Amino acid sequence: MSATQIRFFSLLRRELNRFFKIKRQTLGAPLLETFLYISVFGAALGSRIDKLHGIDYVVFIVPGLILMAWAINAFSNNSSSILQQNFQRAIDDQLSSPASALELLLAFSFGGFLRGMIVAILTFSAASVLVDIPVEHALVLLPALFLVGFFFAQLGVLIGVRAEQFDDVSFAQTFVLQPLIFLGGVFYSATLLPEPFETITQFNPVYYMIGLVRYGFLGYSEADVGLSLAFLSLATFALFAVNYRLFATGYKLRA
Amino acid sequence: MALQIADLSKRYSTGTEALRGVSLEIEAGEFFGLLGPNGAGKSTLIHCTTGLARPTAGTIRVFGHDAVEDGSEARLAVGLAPQDVNLDWFLTAAETLDYHAGYFGMPRRERRERTKELLDVFSLTAKKDESTRTLSGGMKRRLILARALMHRPRLLILDEPTAGVDVELRLELWQYVQRINAEGTTILLTTHYLEEAEQLCDRIAFINGGQIVAEGTSHDLAAEFGVASLEDAYLELVGRNELSRARIVDVAQ
Repeated sequence: MSATQIRFFSLLRRELNRFFKIKRQTLGAPLLETFLYISVFGAALGSRIDKLHGIDYVVFIVPGLILMAWAINAFSNNSSSILQQNFQRAIDDQLSSPASALELLLAFSFGGFLRGMIVAILTFSAASVLVDIPVEHALVLLPALFLVGFFFAQLGVLIGVRAEQFDDVSFAQTFVLQPLIFLGGVFYSATLLPEPFETITQFNPVYYMIGLVRYGFLGYSEADVGLSLAFLSLATFALFAVNYRLFATGYKLRA
Repeated sequence: MALQIADLSKRYSTGTEALRGVSLEIEAGEFFGLLGPNGAGKSTLIHCTTGLARPTAGTIRVFGHDAVEDGSEARLAVGLAPQDVNLDWFLTAAETLDYHAGYFGMPRRERRERTKELLDVFSLTAKKDESTRTLSGGMKRRLILARALMHRPRLLILDEPTAGVDVELRLELWQYVQRINAEGTTILLTTHYLEEAEQLCDRIAFINGGQIVAEGTSHDLAAEFGVASLEDAYLELVGRNELSRARIVDVAQ
């Protein structure tokens, strides 16, 4: 292994080590939360809701729940890990090492990405025990999920670097991220909404992400799949470029 | 040359001018002391050298590598034991050393052997699996020093390493750093203990108000300020010569 690879994997191991050490909070709690959503919305309320676009309600909501699990965990892992290390200045050990801006950014990004992926896989496994989840378009589903995970991992890095207190991270998650995800159509189809809410929903970027993941699993989407993938790729790349610039200039990391 | 600093200035976003045209040269293998009152610019100079702060102007070269343009190579040569305890709460003592060496690209087997060696040197073996949060203050300080040495730096920067530590650790540290200095490691030490600087350092620089105001051996500095000791020279520097022990003895007599 080259020195660059050793550096990168050490940085990444630190991120994984962190969330595995507090796995009840980082893996257990989100899994329980998703299980409760499936139980309440799927099994309890879903039994009284007719099919949506020819799909059982409980099956209809599972793709959105998987996306939500990946997105929120990728975001919260990176935002809190960076803020915490910055707060304690433990991050100085990494910043004063030969690690480049790219190595640091990728290691932080993949920490949250992998935590989100683990919770998403556990969510999928748990949901599969309760209902049959088809995978109609794996070639759309896999890139869509990877892009969603990486997008929210980048968003977590951005908020973590910019945050000055824990309240900043909590604000972004509670008042921005969660409403966007919930109102993006995790639990319903936007076509059921009255105007102007149906139109407003189309300005929510998460609506298109959910559309992509739902199309990958169920073969149903309310938005153009190709266009959604293209915009998601562009947005993820743009966010990555912004974060790279922050790490390269040391914004709020180096004095 | 281990460290070459030329016309280094640092102005923080708050407007504070921490360094104002500092120039300094430290030869390879030298034990160099940097003394100055709180807020003089010692830590800022160290942060600029280790990449934790971005210089506003000037250059820093570590063993010939520019600390900004060729930052990775420059940082590879430096080990930093910072003034404040900045250990990662999620790691154990052994993990702290292992990850640090990993950040510097050290292969696994070498990391394992070096971790074992330094845990032993700093009497931390019994605490290797303890979280850094639960270590005592002295143990944390030992771990920070061990961490700085993990990747065998050619330039070791010790920023007030003995502040608040017990006598045994101070003496152990002195012995250890003298040994690695004799083996070729260049050392830059900042301290408020003048006897420490006097006994350990080949040369000393006084920094005040973001500028190097005097430089030389402790005898040179005493002579430059026209006093008998390094302590008196320092008191002259900070404008508190009324605290000089010699003067207090005179007054008492």
